[in-house]
Amino acid sequence: MRKFVLLTLVLVLTLSTASFAQTPIRLWFAGTPQALMDLMYDEIVPAFEAANPDIKLEVEFVPWSELSTKLATSFAAGVTPDIFMHGQAAIAEFVESNQLLPLDEFIADWPDKDDFGATLSSGYYKDATYFIPVFGAGRLLVYRADTFREAGLDPDNPPTTWDELVEAAKALTKKEGNRFIRQGIDFPQDGIDLQQVWAPFLWQAGGDFLTEDGTAAAFNSPEGVESLQFMMDFIHKHGASDVRTAQPVGNVSPIAADLVGMIFEVPGVLAQITTYSPEVYPEIRVALPTKHVTQDTLYSFSGFMMSRNTVDKEKAWRVMAYLLSAESLEKINEAMATLPPRLSLAEADFIAEDPNLKVYVEAMQFGRGNPNHPRWVQIRDIISRYLERAMRGVMSAQEALDEAAKEVNRLLAE
Amino acid sequence: MRDSPKLGRIPLPSALERMLPMRGFLYYWKNKARRRTMLTAYLFILPVLIYSIAFNFGPMFASFYLSFTRYNMLTPPKFIGLANYVRVLTDDPVFWTALKNTAQYALQVLPLNIAISLSLALLVNRAVWGIAVFRTIYYLPVVTSIIAVSMIWLWLYDYNMGLINLVLERFGLGPIDWLGDPRLALHSLVIMRVWKGVGWNMVIYLAGLQGIPQILYEAAEIDGASAWKKFTSITWPSLRPVTVYIIIMGTISTFQTFGEIYAMTGGGPLDSTTTVGFLIYQRAFQYYSMGEASTVAFILFGIIFGLSLINMQFFQGIE
Repeated sequence: MRKFVLLTLVLVLTLSTASFAQTPIRLWFAGTPQALMDLMYDEIVPAFEAANPDIKLEVEFVPWSELSTKLATSFAAGVTPDIFMHGQAAIAEFVESNQLLPLDEFIADWPDKDDFGATLSSGYYKDATYFIPVFGAGRLLVYRADTFREAGLDPDNPPTTWDELVEAAKALTKKEGNRFIRQGIDFPQDGIDLQQVWAPFLWQAGGDFLTEDGTAAAFNSPEGVESLQFMMDFIHKHGASDVRTAQPVGNVSPIAADLVGMIFEVPGVLAQITTYSPEVYPEIRVALPTKHVTQDTLYSFSGFMMSRNTVDKEKAWRVMAYLLSAESLEKINEAMATLPPRLSLAEADFIAEDPNLKVYVEAMQFGRGNPNHPRWVQIRDIISRYLERAMRGVMSAQEALDEAAKEVNRLLAE
Repeated sequence: MRDSPKLGRIPLPSALERMLPMRGFLYYWKNKARRRTMLTAYLFILPVLIYSIAFNFGPMFASFYLSFTRYNMLTPPKFIGLANYVRVLTDDPVFWTALKNTAQYALQVLPLNIAISLSLALLVNRAVWGIAVFRTIYYLPVVTSIIAVSMIWLWLYDYNMGLINLVLERFGLGPIDWLGDPRLALHSLVIMRVWKGVGWNMVIYLAGLQGIPQILYEAAEIDGASAWKKFTSITWPSLRPVTVYIIIMGTISTFQTFGEIYAMTGGGPLDSTTTVGFLIYQRAFQYYSMGEASTVAFILFGIIFGLSLINMQFFQGIE
């Protein structure tokens, strides 16, 4: 009996000592795509731990809708993950709250940094780098070759100017009385999506969201009004769009269900169409941004940040460097059908094999991000609320943008 | 005072006096046997007391303090006095829109709920074989999660594929943009909420109906009273305490509406379904303005408390 107790004690001590030798590093991934979760748990994490036996990598996937709440709660409780993912627009707020560790000391000697090129600057804020991109997404015009042909348009020559966009939308519209059978072009009716679709038009008109020093609203300029009016006219003047945004039919996206002729979408939708409407995918095309004063469009990256409360910053960096390697990033981006931030991956197989993804990569040269401002979430929501009013015809473009600017300026003054 | 055959007149505090906290406490504390009884009672309720303090009262007091601060969870709270209250009450049009929407929601849900649940209670208040099946069916929506119910009604209300519009179109009446039209969205949520809640109040009214002495109805029968006369002269007045309870609890519940707003409309379109409960969530968890969210929460508390007092006074006055 005594021997049994002694043996058990020795076994327990050995096991606990073994676990003490490993440093647990907690990482939060944003989003819960099944393909990515399978990749991480089945392949990447085991491979990393085999190569780094002193680190226990604990990966958790957090839905985007819960990410900010969970992070804020964990910061308040002082129990933060060592590494977490978020969009680049979140950097400013976390830096101002002193939650992030600058990564410059690690990047300085990092052989991979040149492969990131200009995308590394997306993580730069107030003289330091706090964020390294993992995947990118942009909003581009998605259309179908078959409906273009049916409407007498050339699918190999999509709209390149604002006027051409109007003409194409009118040609693609199908109505039965007052009811849309197919909207020529679809716009989101509210929320984050509406702001993201308006952003390219604002920039293409030569406008911007905030002044250069970020202390005041700039979007209610003549350029802002022109860009918003341009979008409103599709609904209220050209009759080519409905005030109601097209809804997916189950898992089938509106473009695949032929409810819309053109729509602004992120590359993730291509993966959705491939999965749920594979018979339609050969007809799907993507267009480069239209050009007005500029040809800018919205691109943003999601990436990793290191918490100031990390248990071991050297080991946390080893995890980051492994996941940010070309090999890992190629697998991660392929699993999610997103755009890898590395220059060497611009010709990756999964991109080269998909002409639509190639367009997304090509359009990155026109990509701009939302302003990097600590109050961006509130600013964006204020703008979206008034954009919705304008798109519904409740307010004029000038009125809506002026009211939004008033609220944003009040917020910035606090 | 009461008389005892053996002890003469015994100065006992009245029931009301025993309820006053300090008097009640002293009453039990001063006597050894009563003190032991009191401490034993507290020992039994200690787990619940600790839970209530840790998870109810403690956070409530903390939230009250936070309502006087600027706090974003990422940096320590900064005391700013009444600034949050002043801003919300004088310079926050979204708050007043949310309050208007919440009041409208309550004023629509409560009367409809009372009318339908009372009707159902009258229908199922009979000793008929199989009546329990109907009582169960009417109660089922109550025990279904609000999120699950919201998902189902999202499908029902869908503009293109929803069952309601498909039926309406068969009769040449649709389609209707139930959740996308700012003039209709709140009413659509009212319909769903009434559907989900009538079972609960039906059960309460049923208990109330079964407490009305049958002799009253027999006497009315003898006097030749019609069914409507019996309802207005016997049933409805007898159910007044139940109705008061339902109105008070219903007011508290509808003024805190959040789940269906979050799941179905996100406060839109055009803030037409933004309620105060949803606004608190938005300010706290989307904008990290915990101080402001706490302020709105306590203003809501004040409103609900005031309305409950008014309800009680009003119906006591009628009695």
